[in-house]
Formats: sequence, C-alpha cells, structure tokens
Amino acid sequence: MRDALRPHKKWSRIGIAAGGGWAAARVAIPLLAAAAIDRSIEHTRDPLWTWIVILVGAGVFQGLCTGMRRYAAFRLAYRVETDMRMQLVAHLQRLHFAYHDTAQTGQLMANAASDLNQVNQTVVLIPLTIASTIMMVAVIVVLVIISPGLCVFALIALPFLQLSAARFSRRMFPIGMSLQNELSRYSGSVEESITGIRVVKGFGAERRQIASVDNHSAGIYERSIAAARERAWFLPIIDLLPALGLAGILWYGGHQVLEGHLQIGDILAANLYVLMLIWPLRMLGQLIGQIPRSIAASARIHDVLATDPQIVDAPEAQSLASGGADLRFEHVTFGYGNGRPVLDGLDLVIPAGQAVALVGATAAGKSTVARLIPRFYDVDDGRILIGGVDVRELRLAELRRAIGIVFEDTFLFTESVRDNIAFADPGAPMEAVRRAARLAGAEEFIEGLPGGFDTLLGQHGYTLSGGQRQRVAIARAVLADPKVLILDDATSSVDPTKEHEIRAALAEVMRDRTTLIIAHRPATIALADRVVLLDGGRIVADGTHDDLLASSERYREVLARAELSAAHVQADSSADDGDEFDRDAEPEVSR
Amino acid sequence: MRGGGRRLADSVPDEVISRAQAQRLVRRLWSMLDDYYVRIFVAVFLLMLQVGTLLAGPALVAYGIDHGIKGRSGAALDRAALVYVVLALIAFVLGRTVTVLVAKIGEGYLQDLRGTVFRHLMSLSLGFFEREQTGRLVARMTSDIDALEDLVSQGLVLMVQNVLLFLGAVLAIFLLSWRLALAVFVIVPPVFMASRWFRRVSNVAYREVRDSIATNMSTLQEGLEGIRVVQAYAREPSFRDRFHGTNEGQYDANLVAVRISSLYFPSVEFTSVLGYAVILGFGGLLVHDGFTTVGVVTAFVLYLVNLFDPINQLSQFYNTVQSAAAALDKVFILLDTRPTVAERVGAFDVPSVEGDGRGIGVDVDHVSFAYGPDADLVLHDVTLHIAPGERMALVGPTGAGKSTLAKLLARFYDPVEGTVQVGGADLRDITFASLRRTMCVVPQEGYLFAGSLRDNIRVGRVDATDADVDAAIAALGVGHHFDSFPDGLDTEVQEGGSRLSAGERQIVSLARAALADPGVLVLDEATSNLDPGTEHEVEQALERLMSGRTVVVVAHRLSTAARADRIAVIDAGGLAELGTHDELVARGGRYASLYAAWQTHHQDAA
Repeated sequence: MRDALRPHKKWSRIGIAAGGGWAAARVAIPLLAAAAIDRSIEHTRDPLWTWIVILVGAGVFQGLCTGMRRYAAFRLAYRVETDMRMQLVAHLQRLHFAYHDTAQTGQLMANAASDLNQVNQTVVLIPLTIASTIMMVAVIVVLVIISPGLCVFALIALPFLQLSAARFSRRMFPIGMSLQNELSRYSGSVEESITGIRVVKGFGAERRQIASVDNHSAGIYERSIAAARERAWFLPIIDLLPALGLAGILWYGGHQVLEGHLQIGDILAANLYVLMLIWPLRMLGQLIGQIPRSIAASARIHDVLATDPQIVDAPEAQSLASGGADLRFEHVTFGYGNGRPVLDGLDLVIPAGQAVALVGATAAGKSTVARLIPRFYDVDDGRILIGGVDVRELRLAELRRAIGIVFEDTFLFTESVRDNIAFADPGAPMEAVRRAARLAGAEEFIEGLPGGFDTLLGQHGYTLSGGQRQRVAIARAVLADPKVLILDDATSSVDPTKEHEIRAALAEVMRDRTTLIIAHRPATIALADRVVLLDGGRIVADGTHDDLLASSERYREVLARAELSAAHVQADSSADDGDEFDRDAEPEVSR
Repeated sequence: MRGGGRRLADSVPDEVISRAQAQRLVRRLWSMLDDYYVRIFVAVFLLMLQVGTLLAGPALVAYGIDHGIKGRSGAALDRAALVYVVLALIAFVLGRTVTVLVAKIGEGYLQDLRGTVFRHLMSLSLGFFEREQTGRLVARMTSDIDALEDLVSQGLVLMVQNVLLFLGAVLAIFLLSWRLALAVFVIVPPVFMASRWFRRVSNVAYREVRDSIATNMSTLQEGLEGIRVVQAYAREPSFRDRFHGTNEGQYDANLVAVRISSLYFPSVEFTSVLGYAVILGFGGLLVHDGFTTVGVVTAFVLYLVNLFDPINQLSQFYNTVQSAAAALDKVFILLDTRPTVAERVGAFDVPSVEGDGRGIGVDVDHVSFAYGPDADLVLHDVTLHIAPGERMALVGPTGAGKSTLAKLLARFYDPVEGTVQVGGADLRDITFASLRRTMCVVPQEGYLFAGSLRDNIRVGRVDATDADVDAAIAALGVGHHFDSFPDGLDTEVQEGGSRLSAGERQIVSLARAALADPGVLVLDEATSNLDPGTEHEVEQALERLMSGRTVVVVAHRLSTAARADRIAVIDAGGLAELGTHDELVARGGRYASLYAAWQTHHQDAA
C-alpha cells in the first residue's frame, strides 16, 4: 500500500497540511467561545463583537481546511484504487490461458471491485485519522493546561467509545457474513422455484418450495435480530459516554468555578471538546475494524498480482520470417495440469499452404493441438516449429498475429458487427470488413440486421444465433489475414444447408494459407487436402479422406459417431425454436 | 466524513416516487402492519422518552450553571450532575430496548412480506412465468425487499428519532428563551436549503458514479470473458486502452461526487460555528440586558447540535426512503397480479373412479385457445377423448399446438372455449391439490433443485418416507443406478443439477412421477438425445412408469408415437388425424409421410 501511495506525495502533503489546519481551528473554536463568555459576557473586558468576529473567522478557516482535507483524502484514495485496478487488469490480461481456465470471472470481478473498495476505504481513513489524532492530542493538552482534573472528568469515559466502535465492527463482521450467506441461500431457493416452475406446478410442489423459502426467511430474521442486538449495544453508547463526560464537567467544573479555580467559559469549552471528539473516536474504531478486512482484501489482490504470466517472450525472441509458414510438431507431449498427457509424442508436419483436417473422437486432443500453436499453452516435451523456428523463440504478439483461430464457443464483444470483425485491425477499411464477412458467408445476414454492419451485438444489443455468431467469428479471423488459419469446430452451429454456401468461400480463404480444420462433418473435412486421425494423443492415420475411409476402421468409427452427435446438434438447434413444452415458442407468448 | 459516499451511491433511487404515489404506498404499508400496531405505539412512546431524556442534558447544564454556579449552591450542582447521569443511563437502556424492538417489528414485517410475496408468486399461473423474466421476479423477492431492509433496520428509528430530536430541541430552546431561539432560527433556513441542494446535486452525481461503475465493470467482465480472443489476436494493448478509459471515467465520476461533498460538509461545519457566533453574540447582548442567563446561552450551544444534525441526517434518509418506496411499489404491483388460472370457490376433488384413482379418462371437448385476448387462436375446436388407461401420442410439426394442448390438460391455462375434463369433471371445477394428485406433468428437461437426490424425488410427494422413495425408484427398475454415487440417493446436487447427465436428471424426474403415482400422466418427450449410457435405461423406466396409467405424451420421436395406443396428429391448431399407428400408416396421410421420411433417415444413419 505504501508503494501505491508514493506517486501521490503532493496530495498527501496537501491533505496532511489541511488536516493540521483543521485540527488547529477545531481546538481554537471552543477556546474562542469560552473567551467570549468569560471576557465579554460574564465580564466586559473586551467588546463582544471582537470575539464573535474572530470566532466566525476561525469557522471560515476551519471550513476551508475541512473541504481541502476531504478532497485530498478522497482524491488520493480514488487515485490509488483506480491505479491498482488498472494494474490488476493489465496483469490479468497477461496471465496465461491455464490461469484463466481455473479462475472464475466472478471472483476476479470481486477482486477488482469490492476488494479494491475495501482498500480505498482504508486509504481514505488514513489522512483523516492522522488529522483527528493530532486534534485529540491537542485537545488533551489544552484541557490539561486548563485543569488536569477537568480533563480527567471530561475525557475519562471517551476511550470506551473507540473500544466499543472497534468491538462493534469486529462482532458485526461475522454476523454480517452469516446474514449474507443466509440471504444468498434464500435467493437461491427463490430462483430455483422460479426457474423450475414447471416442475413445481407439474407436481403441485408449491408448498415444498414455500417451506424452504420460509425456512431461509426465518434464518434471515434471526441473523438480522442478532445484528440489531449488536447495534443496540453500540448506538446508545454513542449518546451515553459523552453525556457522562458532560455531567462530569458540570459537577467537577462547577465546583471548581465555585472555588474560583475555573471560569464558566471553561465549562463550555470542555463541553464542546467532548462533543467534538465523538466522531473522530467513532472513526478510529471504524478504522480498527476495517483494517483486517483491508489486509485480507489486499492479500487477495496481491495473490493475483504475484502470479507470474507463464507464457512470455523469450529473452532474445525472434521475429517471424516472412513467407510461408509450415508447421512442424516434433514429439509433442502435453497435459493440462497434473493429469494424464493429452498429447503423447505427437509428430505432424504441415507444409506451408496445405489444409489439414484433424479428426478424432471427443477429447482426443484435437483442440489441444490447435491451442499449442499460438502458445495458449506451452508443450511439456518436444517442440512446435513454425517456419522452422520454435514457437517459444518467437515474439508472442507476432506469432499470434500470424495465426487466425476460430474457437467453437464464439465470443463476440458488445460492439458493432463491424468492430467485431475488424477486431484484429480496427483501422481496416469498410471494404475489407465487407469482404471478410462475404468470405465467411456472413455478409447477407449482416445486411439484413436492423443496423447492418453498425448493429450493436451482445448484452444490450442484438442477439445472433449460434451459427451467425460463428460466421462473424470466421470473418474476424479472415480479416486478420493470418498465415495460419485454425478452424476449431468453427462451423458446428452453422445450419448444414448454409454451411454448403460458405464452403466455396472458405476454400478461397484457405488458399495459400496453412490451415488446420477440426471438424466432424464429412462435407467440412472435404475442404482439406489431407486428413489426419488423432487417437490416444498421437496421429494414427494420415492420408486423404477416401484413403482413410478405405483403410482405417477407427476413422470410420469416429466419423459414424460424429454423425450421430451432429444429428443431435440439429435436433437441438431445431429445438431452439421448436414447439416444446418447456420453452413454448408460440409467438404470442414470447412477446 | 459521515458514512462515506458508497452507501449513498447504493441507495440513490432510479425513479422518483410522486407524493400521491407515496401516500398510497404508506397507507397500504400501514394497513399491512396491523399485527404490529401495539408494538409500534410502544416503540414510538419509548423513543419519545429516550429523546426527552437526551434533551434534558443541556437544560440540566443550564440549571447547574445558573443555580449551582451563579446561585453559589454546591447542592444544586450535585443535583444537576446526578440527575444528568441517571437520565443518561435511562436513555441508554431505552435506546437498547427501542433498537431491538424496532428491529423485531421491521424484520418481522419483512419476513411476513417475503412469505406473502412468495406464496403469491407460487399461486400465479404458468402464463405469468412465461411472460416475465426470471431475473426480474427474483429481484422482487431479493433486491427490492433488501431495499426496504435499510429503511426498516435502522432508517425508521433514526428518522423518527431525528424528527423527535429536532422538534424537542426547538421546543426546549423556545422554552428557555424565545428571543434567543428566534435568533437561532435565522440560520436554520440556510442549513435546510444547503442540505436540499446537496441532496439534489449529490443524487445526480452518485447516479453518475453508479453508472460509471457499471460501465467499467461490464468492460472488465467482457475483457475477462473474452480474454482468449483478446490474447489470440494479441489485442491486449487496445483492450487496456479501453479499460483505462472506463476506469478513469469511474475515477472522474467519483471526483465530481467528492467535490460536491467537499463543498457541503465544510459548509455544515461552518454553519455550526456560525450558530455559536449568533448564540454567543446575541445571547451575550440578552444576558447584558437581563433577558436571559449564561447557563441558558451555554445550553443553546449544546442544543445546536440537536437542531442541525437531524436536518442533515433526514436529508440523507430521503434517498433511502425513495429507494424503499420504489421497491415497495414494485412488490405491490406483483402482489396485485391476479392468477389467471385460479381455483374457484366451492371447487371439489377429482371424482375417483376406482379407489386408487386409476382408470381415469381425459376429455377435450371443442377446445379453442389463444395466449392472449388479442392473440390468434393457437387451437381451434379440438375434440379428443382419451379413454382410461389409454396411451395417446400427440405428434405434429413445430408450432402446431401439441404442447399447448398438453398445457391445457394440466390446467396451466384455461381454454378460451370448450372444456377439458378429467374423470368426467371440468378442470375448472376441481381443486388444484386433487388435480395434482391425479395427474402429473413430467417436463422434458429433468430440472433438479439444490439438495439431495432423495429430496428431489420427494418433490413428487412431500410427505413420502425414505422407503416410499426407494420403492418408487425400484418400481422404475433404476434402483441400482444411483448406487455408484458417493452417497447414493443422499448425494447433494446443485441447483439445475449440472453434475448429473441429462439422462440421470430425467430418471430423477421420472422417479418423482412414480412417487406421486398419478392416474394420469402428461409427458413431454425430450427432443435432444441422451447419452447412450442412460438412454436405454430412461426408455425402460419410462415404459414402466406409463404402464397402467392414462398417458398423454407429446412425442418428438416417431418410435415413441408408434408404441402408443392411438396417435393424434395436430396441425395448424386442429386435430388433423387420429388413429392407431397401423391405421394412420395405412391411410397414407400426413402421419404416413412423416413416418416414411423418418424411416429412410434412420436407415441412412444405420
């Protein structure tokens, strides 16, 4: 945290200076009020208006300092939070695929939002606490100078306020957590009753769900009351302790005045000091309660930042040579995590410009082969060469720009269709975007969208069908103009009748590019010059489609099974707009 | 720095509730609180006592100064201090009691509200759930009621307390010295106006903050979800730029809010110093002229905090109240939605034909149906008699209305014209409880609730014993299936049941129906194929479940249809063909051509 504060010395200094000014003004004001009473009301030593003017002047000065102190503290805290978030996000971006495979988006979002917010709250409190501490010390000094006895009576009860605030904060935390848990169980119960409403209605199980929701609701009540009991200890103490101080001042101070040691103004000043200290003490308690949470939050952030990216440029990384890019897998072995190897001594050579279809059963490792080429993961053993150079010795950004990969699960951004296609090269002319869309068989449907190429996609925009999304993703890869094109089951959701239309265009895209196609449908496989069959982490058959059909029993088996699951996909995609019981598609209902 | 900005930002309402709307809401809220009236009055009474004891403090200081010090009476001084301490302790006890009491009232009300809203939700018809988004309905039960929580748990006490404190302080200063009180009131309007200004500007600013956070977080979320694409195209720098933009946007929005509060809070501090100045200046003149005493002037200084603090606190409650009112409004709208399919008064149980409820037929008589008053008819004039124990398959193209017909059989909707009868009684005349005992609907996806598999099966019949559940599973011949699970039937599953395969979920779903043991079964066949491992098992279990019952199955596979006693072909909202498989194939109509197409396809695949 100290490192994070260092670049902001200017505002730290302004904040501390303003805090000092504020503390001075706060300590002065009760003394001025006391002086007004003793010198101008009780006696007439000075004209009343002089003290009043000085008092108002001190008020103005105090106001200026308060404003400046507050602004500096928050500006600093938000600056730190914003910078740390940027640092966190930039770091997350550099982390390797394997990290993101296990990290949950929700968790990372929580790091970037609530954890950083916790840190922010502590940073805000630091300068305020420094100023408040200065003020408290000054108040004690002033009171001791006026009368040590009065100081004792006025302030003796107050430390309990800070202790109570810290205790309250500490005790509320587990209750709050447990309340949050009960609330989330409750909302889970509500949610499943609604998403499963057909089961609930179909079996008349409403009462079962009501019992479950009532149960959680009672749990919420119980924990809320537990929280209220804690509040019921703490909140009245905020009124009680100062009141004890004021009573003590009245009694002790009053007798001192009777004995001629003090003046009435001193009683007023001591009263004002007590009232003044309530908030700083509460805040100090709050800070004490807040610190462990902030530490825990910054530890979580630190964990993320301490994870080193595993896929980085080698110290003397080379540029990719121009010209064709042949691919060579040399005895490649790879497994995810500590599990069994997915690829086991794989050897494969793809000459520049050739299109190879990679076929294999589910989980045979086809996608893994595809993901090793752009170094989403690094091989455990063996090596992968592109243009004769080990991919690990190339500059990562250049390597990836030279490869266009289309994943099976297409991710599109909440941007226009045009921006999604021009993702690799945002400055690409419209003509290039249009051409890429045409080659991916997407131009026609894009023109039919409400805003054509400017249609906004995603969450708040237009929703495309699975096949349309895949075609936009293919266009995105086409526009990148890669040397190596990888289509990982990239047309699986495209309607078979439409796939036929884009096949010719795809053939044009693939010309002069080294292409790896992962596919199940014979029609797609037919796009390739050559087919390799992957089984048990190695290539077990290699040749043309017809060769393999004739020679490999395993190939026929894999194709037959793929056909079956392709039939399922068709059934599923027709079910998307089918006349189902569960998601009835009668248009009157959906509108 | 009070409370910090974040909480304020959270509670800034999206829409503002009008005065008339607010009055209506308050009236309705009040009428729902009738169980709590006594406790509410007790709480308000205790609050008044507490505020009274708190406000006595400064007056005691005035008494101590004027009678003890100026009157040179040590005894008066002792008296004042002692009473002060006693009252402070009483205030403490009262404060504790009131806080707990009000929490019990408020949380009790929220618990009632959760129960009422959920019971109401469960009573609504399926059509309602098909129109509404799940997320919005869940929000009514969660975030909207949570918005009331802030108000109920602390807001209400603080609000009433602050109002009482302010009024009490006004009363106290007028009683002590009306002249000085009038002078003090000169500065109340600026304080009031400043806090109104702050409320208005800060609402706008905090809404900006909230929007900027939402934008920034959704940029981040997209960046994280799309990280593979970003890395694949080496576009990290451009995403960083984009995030930098939204991240700085959040910072800027926060700074605007901070600037506003950095103007407001100092002015509040200044007005209190100004207050001291007015009290001491004008009060000093009044003391010189003999209109008041030093003790009273001191008390005024102490009362000042009780005048200004409530104004500031109350202006902050405005947001909490607005959010709560907006949330309450949405909850009430939900409560006002009437179920379109409801049990009528005097509904009776399904007449049982034979003791066990089997042998019940279903009759569809001249039924027409549309999903809304202005919508086109989905079914028109369909008549179909399903004999007791008969298995009827509904087939037809997508959108023909076969699922709609099945929904009418289950009384998820009521027909626009015509009647649906079970065991000879119109569905609209019988109780839901008896209908669900007589007829079960098995949807095509086996939906699982969070909990054990056993509890999931028990959805079919809540009071079933473990032995009943085992028996139901055994009856389906799938008893062994869950033996391989770590805890057998006690294995816990998550909502949606993601750890189980589609086939296993389907088995649980069928077991529910077996446990409910209805005379009539309405089935929607799964369209997607199951994993080969369980497909056969599911089919067998289904066969056993159907035997001996009246069954209506929405068939997606013609093999299922072929095994039914009779087949009804639904097309364009009407009954196109009806007969046995052999009859329909022989007739050479629509079913025959569907069947022929299906057969060729299967031979190809084989």
